[in-house]
Amino acid sequence: MINGCEQAKGLLAEAAHCEVASIPDDVRIGQFAPWDSLAHLRLVLGIEQRIGRTLDADEAIRIESLKDIAALLG
Amino acid sequence: MNMPAKGRPIFLKTARFALRSLKPSDGSERWANWLRDPEVMGPLNAPVRAWTSQELRAHIASADNEQRYLIGVFDNATQIQIGFFMVDVDPFHRRANFNVVIGEKAWWGKGVVNEARAALLDEFFDNRGIEKATGAPLSRNFPAVFNYKAQGWRHEGTLRGHCTSASGGARLDQYQFGLTKEEWAAARGRQK
Repeated sequence: MINGCEQAKGLLAEAAHCEVASIPDDVRIGQFAPWDSLAHLRLVLGIEQRIGRTLDADEAIRIESLKDIAALLG
Repeated sequence: MNMPAKGRPIFLKTARFALRSLKPSDGSERWANWLRDPEVMGPLNAPVRAWTSQELRAHIASADNEQRYLIGVFDNATQIQIGFFMVDVDPFHRRANFNVVIGEKAWWGKGVVNEARAALLDEFFDNRGIEKATGAPLSRNFPAVFNYKAQGWRHEGTLRGHCTSASGGARLDQYQFGLTKEEWAAARGRQK
């Protein structure tokens, strides 16, 4: 079974067009080159697609790490 | 039309870009095309505008390099303008509010905003008496939100239903970001 952080990593890898293995466990917004502004756009839309609803402003602003992504994926 | 003479124009260089206060003669067809493009203007919630070059030049002439700056971003390699910043200054509160448009889509996702804005933050904090910078992207302008966060700005609040959508009239949420002179100095120290 894939845990939440692994799912988050997979989604971030898809959005950032990079290998899952290249993503550090402690990755944070602004500190990993492939996670750029367009990757962030794809990431948020990817989360929304995965959970089947639009994120509200309070949820979207919290996306800064794998843990944050995992929390939204539920 | 001549350059407004009120304040000191900006001339800066970064690794990839030249930043300078725009002159009315910079009002190009390329820029007018950005204003007509919903993909460029939509995330800013700005109405699509069919301005003539003359109207655009008049708009540029309204910037005085004191309370309003229009600063072009030019690719060093080609000298072509790829976007612009509009910075509104409140001199009493020593605050500068930043807006940016990168009109050339080939440059999207390439770190233009934060490279250029870093030089502008240095300039406004170090040489123009500014003590706080602000920015207010729409909550669904995810690339802009990324840029603020990646550059170390703080999310100071969410203005719920603050704007009317320029395309359809729905209420839109907006974030308020801020960055003080001290926070920027600390962030610069960390980057070195």
